[in-house]
Amino acid sequence: MSRYIATRALRGANLIVKEFDAQLQKALAELGPDKEVQFTNTAYYLPTILGYTGMSVETIGGLKPVLDHCRGLLHSPPENRTWLPYLGETLDAGVATLLAEEGIMAIRFANGQEPQRMPGLELTGTSAPSDTGYMNGPIDDIQLRSWGIQLVDGRMPGFAAIIGKAKTNEAAVEIVRQLQRRNILIFLSGNVNGRSIIHQLMEEGVEMGYDTYIVPFGLDTISTVYPMGFATRSALTFGGMKGGQTREILLYNKYRVFAFALALGEVDDLKYATAAGAITYGFPVIADTVIPEIRPTGITQYEHVISMPWDDIEGQTDAEKAARFVQQAIEVRGVKIKITEVPVPVPYGSAFEGERVRKADMRVEFGGKYSRCFEYLRMVGLDDVEDHKIEVIGPGFEDVEEGGAIDLGILVEVAGRKMQEDFEPVLERQIHYFINGASGIQHIGQRDIAWIRISKGATDKGFDLKHFGEILYARFHGDFGAIVDKVQVKLITEPELHAEWLEKARTAFDYRNQRLAEMTDEAVGEFYSCTLCQSFAPDHICVVSPERLGLCGAYNWLDCKASFQINPTGPNQPIPKGNAIDAWTGVFDNVNEFVQQGSHGAVDTVTMYSIMEYPMTSCGCFECIMMILPMCNGFMIVSREDPSMTPAGMTFSTLAGMAGGGLQTPGVLGIGKYFIISNKFIRADGGLKRIVWMSSFLKETMAEELKEAAIRAGDPDLIDKIADERVATTEDEVLAFLEESGHPALTMEPLM
Amino acid sequence: MALSGLQIYKLLPKTNCKDCGYPTCLAFAMKLAAKQASLDDCPHVSAEAKEALSAASAPPIRLVKVGTGAREFQVGNETVMFRHEKTFFHHPGLALRVKDTEDAGAVAEKVKMVNDYSVERVGIEMTFNAIAIENASGDPGTYADAVKAVRSQTALPFVLMSDDVDALKAALDVEGDHKPVLYAATVDNWEAMAGLAKGKQVSLAVRSQDGLDELADLATKLGDAGVEALVLDPGSRDLGESLAQVTQLRRLALKKNLRLLGHPIIAFAGEVADTEEGEIVATTQFIAKYAGIIVMDRFDPAVAYPLLTLRLNIYTDPQKPISVDPGIYDFNNPTADSPLMTTTNFSLTYFSVAGELDGSGIPSWLLICDAEGMSVLTAWAAGKFDAETIAKAVKTFNAGDKLSHKKIILPGHVAVLSGELEEELPGWEILVGPREAVDLPAYLKQL
Amino acid sequence: MPVTVEIPKERWTGSIREVTLGATAEQGGTRAKTVTVGGETTLPFLHFEGEMPHTPIVGIEVQDSYPADWSPVLLAAWGDVLNDPAAWAKKAEEIGADVIMLKVRGADADGNATSPEQAAAVIQSVLQATGLPIIVRGPGQAELDNKLLVAVAEAAPGERLALGLCEDKNYRTIVAAALAHDHLVVASSPIDVNLAKQLNILISDMRLPLERVLMDPTTGALGYGIEYSYSVMERLRVAALTGDGMTQQPMVCFVGEESWRQKESRTAEGVPAEWGDIEKRGITWEIATATALLESGADIVVLRHPETVDVVHETISKLMAH
Repeated sequence: MSRYIATRALRGANLIVKEFDAQLQKALAELGPDKEVQFTNTAYYLPTILGYTGMSVETIGGLKPVLDHCRGLLHSPPENRTWLPYLGETLDAGVATLLAEEGIMAIRFANGQEPQRMPGLELTGTSAPSDTGYMNGPIDDIQLRSWGIQLVDGRMPGFAAIIGKAKTNEAAVEIVRQLQRRNILIFLSGNVNGRSIIHQLMEEGVEMGYDTYIVPFGLDTISTVYPMGFATRSALTFGGMKGGQTREILLYNKYRVFAFALALGEVDDLKYATAAGAITYGFPVIADTVIPEIRPTGITQYEHVISMPWDDIEGQTDAEKAARFVQQAIEVRGVKIKITEVPVPVPYGSAFEGERVRKADMRVEFGGKYSRCFEYLRMVGLDDVEDHKIEVIGPGFEDVEEGGAIDLGILVEVAGRKMQEDFEPVLERQIHYFINGASGIQHIGQRDIAWIRISKGATDKGFDLKHFGEILYARFHGDFGAIVDKVQVKLITEPELHAEWLEKARTAFDYRNQRLAEMTDEAVGEFYSCTLCQSFAPDHICVVSPERLGLCGAYNWLDCKASFQINPTGPNQPIPKGNAIDAWTGVFDNVNEFVQQGSHGAVDTVTMYSIMEYPMTSCGCFECIMMILPMCNGFMIVSREDPSMTPAGMTFSTLAGMAGGGLQTPGVLGIGKYFIISNKFIRADGGLKRIVWMSSFLKETMAEELKEAAIRAGDPDLIDKIADERVATTEDEVLAFLEESGHPALTMEPLM
Repeated sequence: MALSGLQIYKLLPKTNCKDCGYPTCLAFAMKLAAKQASLDDCPHVSAEAKEALSAASAPPIRLVKVGTGAREFQVGNETVMFRHEKTFFHHPGLALRVKDTEDAGAVAEKVKMVNDYSVERVGIEMTFNAIAIENASGDPGTYADAVKAVRSQTALPFVLMSDDVDALKAALDVEGDHKPVLYAATVDNWEAMAGLAKGKQVSLAVRSQDGLDELADLATKLGDAGVEALVLDPGSRDLGESLAQVTQLRRLALKKNLRLLGHPIIAFAGEVADTEEGEIVATTQFIAKYAGIIVMDRFDPAVAYPLLTLRLNIYTDPQKPISVDPGIYDFNNPTADSPLMTTTNFSLTYFSVAGELDGSGIPSWLLICDAEGMSVLTAWAAGKFDAETIAKAVKTFNAGDKLSHKKIILPGHVAVLSGELEEELPGWEILVGPREAVDLPAYLKQL
Repeated sequence: MPVTVEIPKERWTGSIREVTLGATAEQGGTRAKTVTVGGETTLPFLHFEGEMPHTPIVGIEVQDSYPADWSPVLLAAWGDVLNDPAAWAKKAEEIGADVIMLKVRGADADGNATSPEQAAAVIQSVLQATGLPIIVRGPGQAELDNKLLVAVAEAAPGERLALGLCEDKNYRTIVAAALAHDHLVVASSPIDVNLAKQLNILISDMRLPLERVLMDPTTGALGYGIEYSYSVMERLRVAALTGDGMTQQPMVCFVGEESWRQKESRTAEGVPAEWGDIEKRGITWEIATATALLESGADIVVLRHPETVDVVHETISKLMAH
């Protein structure tokens, strides 16, 4: 905590409490202690006071204990020699300030001075006695509920309390427009040397009132207590809290009311003190002048106080500066923006995912035979991304002949406080689906073998390279907003840069492959569950580890991890693996406990690396089924694609009935095909060397990977020694083949 | 502790002779472990193995066969309390009761109605299963005549109801070896009943007048007397108490492994209720909750159809959902201009779509593809509902012949197939509908 | 020697939450009485091993405009009141409804869209016509539901209506409206234990107390997926009783709506003779669906045909007697 801020805030608090005292004495003398005080058309008495102290103040006399409470919160400004952190004292001062300000407001009400008169101000929609000539006064309950519902359900991301005066009238208008564009409520108060943003907006003809989401409260800083009262009442109304549940009310606001304060122009003592009060609600303060910052997070979700001197903000015009200023405020508060429509000139939706663009209908293509196309998503620092920046670097396709091809690189850079490098591939894979959603666009492949076609129909409607950026920007925010805060997209056609980034992308892909290969079960603290299939296999739980992907093949450990970040109450939950009961077969105490609970008691032990003892159950979505062949002392693996008879005497579909349904069946196991090449693959039962029969489909489609796995297993020719449906469909035939080929399983320890 | 399939396998002959009806000894062992097969099906199993396996492999609720020939039905062999745990295997036999005091013509009419009644749903023929004939006259001769008369009218199995051993004996004499169920042994007549049932090799129902203790006592005695196939009537005729009793019986058999009560249950819906609606309610309860034979006193197609449907639904294997027949289905008298939709043959998928189409009042066609009974997304993921499948169905069922247009609407979840399907079906326009059936009416209205 | 059978009882550790619909004048509403469901400590009607402190209840469906699309059997049974939601609700109360389920359709029979103001007016007229607690459902399209249900919530503050359907897509708005105006919600999920649970978690994360949440696991009618609903409800109930806190909501089943939708309960002509008389068939369809779902855990069944209401009432009272 900056000592400078502490000093100023404490000074401001002392001043305002003194002012409250003076006004209260005057009111007691002139109006008497029994004079009623209340904010019109609102429940919850004086809401900030009620929230903070539990006191239901109904009369002037009732303000006396509030004053005492304020005094109890005050401390002297820190002396020059003190170097303690002053956070607690400063926050207390902030609270005292808000209570005193609300007390003063109440007295003004009793005197008929609120809502304040404001000649010339017209409001469209207000709680004031008239829509001309008045500030708004407290937001009435009906409006509170109406906006409250939108704040709670997320249609309205939050509110901004603007205090003071913008650098210029144009800046004032632009700041407000930026907020309106994002559906953020705007509350106005305060002045700098007598001029307020309210004046500025009036001069510029900006319509204010409930209908435009702009609410002017007053020209003084004291009026800032209305937004705080609004926040408190939201917690009381929507959070079901009672007055005096201070901690709960503040936490509610911190986590649920995405509000922030913008301090425009010079910040005086009272503004510092009021800002300290706002911080107790978890509302950060962003100033457009030079003030000390409070960066470390704690009370607010992220930074407390940020200084962005207007003149230093990047940008030619006030409009550009305002955009950056507001963006910064939104980031600091952690407000999530939702984009509901993808702004492209062609229809967009999943209905178009499967479209083909034929050669004859094609305007241009990227990738395929005649050009190179890559897509690469990387994570960068929050400061290194300008949200919604979409750049086309190099020539567009205007000059490419019809049906021609050019090189394209799609570089997506994302930043987010919850983003992790490991999520890069998970997000990158989405590019395919996102781009395919546009009508007249066809996307195939991924990474450096991406292949995109744009139809003539789409370009006729104006579809251009930059629209790829718009699509990706909108969809990443929309679908992955939980982990992505900012997105920028570069569409690179410029040859030199294309070559450079292609190289970088390839390096990254290699690194990722490497990382995936190195990621072991031992190296992580938690596995993930997948209960997606419990709808039809109610007792089944998949345990997904780095070295054992889900049996459906669709979810690996990283997918689950990202899915959990995006949907914390969803089907993928972290399972801290706990202590190894048997590290070799892969039994972990916490995993057992999780499975027992999730299977509703049906399964109490599960091994990660064995098919013979407590094997994992299967839902029915398995890519492959393994089953013991007792005579052969090994296992067979049949893949879903293989319709032929297996040596177990059953086809895949008959076997599926036996393997599925969430039953633990030793000797039978459903797996994802990439588990076969894992180092943990049925390790406890002898690993890959136990495989005596395998669908030829697997042998062919995974030839490279299997070869490598065989080498790791110490038997480079292993795959050739394994029978398949072309040479054996009964166990006897398998056995004969194994004897011929010299398969290692025949000399391994008996399975049973 | 139940044995795993592998443990059972070790005790089997390991010859893979297939005489049990399963492809390998291991497959048979797995079925035994899941309590879905009986060790008796293996003719080669050794005496030692039998000994070791019998405890582990005998179904906890005994299978009872009722009747002979085409109308024979089996009840029992259930392994779970809740159908979601595995499935309910043998649906309850529905019986209509007639009395030997009723007018013979009236009886004949009822018997004919039940005998002939058969109604189809999702390709499955549903029927009643038995006639219960009660010796209300108290006279063995009258009873035997009545039984004989009904037997001349139907091949349906019988439940022969009398507390008088002589009456049942007389009835059995005319019934021959049609394997009826004798109803019922009680504290008063059990010894004679046991003798009769044993002598004629028929299953015997046992009725308690005093709760489960008496039932267990009787079942023990009958077992000791050598009667193997029992059917239990725990006695209550109160809807709520019946529910408690059947639940307790099922739990005792499955969870306490109490073999002596591990038999199918017979319930009397007509005795639980005094109105037709009450009988519908009672039958519903007994279908859902654990009865093996349900005896009703009334028969009306308008009641039989819903109740048989319920039985079909409850006894559907949750993991192997019934599928509907592939083909073209019509809704609200469609014409050649009506829209054509397609989806998979998973029953719930079909019913969701059919329900919406039916309810919308919009004339339409629905092409059901053979996706091995999977839902749209599951089938798509498994490659069972792809462009090829749909195109094949369009051709097989000559969808084009019914239409003046060439448009087909895909489920929104498989929008991704549209391009491929366009190639598979040249000349057709592929439209993408909503993802959920519930949005179909709105979609069709704006089409 | 006499045999003594030890009655097998499950030792359930969890119980269903009690949820009260409606508020009397004292409680800030205008209802003549409130009704509480839930509280079970055992599976449905197994009084020998646990408590069922509250009787499962029967709701009757009332719509805001003439339901031209209803089965002719229903149209005949109700007659003229179908034109007037208030009269209809009053009649439903006379027939023996424990709660009214008001369905606000997106449009009237002529296709005119329902405005929020109309929705607000209709709830007010129904509130005046009956003293029973009310469940209000929108047309079932998330956005339209939001618009209409917020208006309904606002028009009846403090009445403790149960607002539905509150789904994955729109739960935030409905829950916010319930918070703002002191109502309950009906959390609806598509026949899936985990999705039902997840929705309850999300709703309670918004700080709506779970004592104000009813759960609709989605009803499939007889012949149209009842087995799925039946099993999901049994699974939810077993999970709840074994202590899974996020599945312990009382369940509501919209039996009437689902049972009277298909041709089995609508069509008299051109169907197989084996289907029998349309009226009896339709009513049996509804009775059997309601009974089966009560046996699997329904706390509220919402019905359409007056005769079914009687039968189901009697069934419940028989099953509750012990």
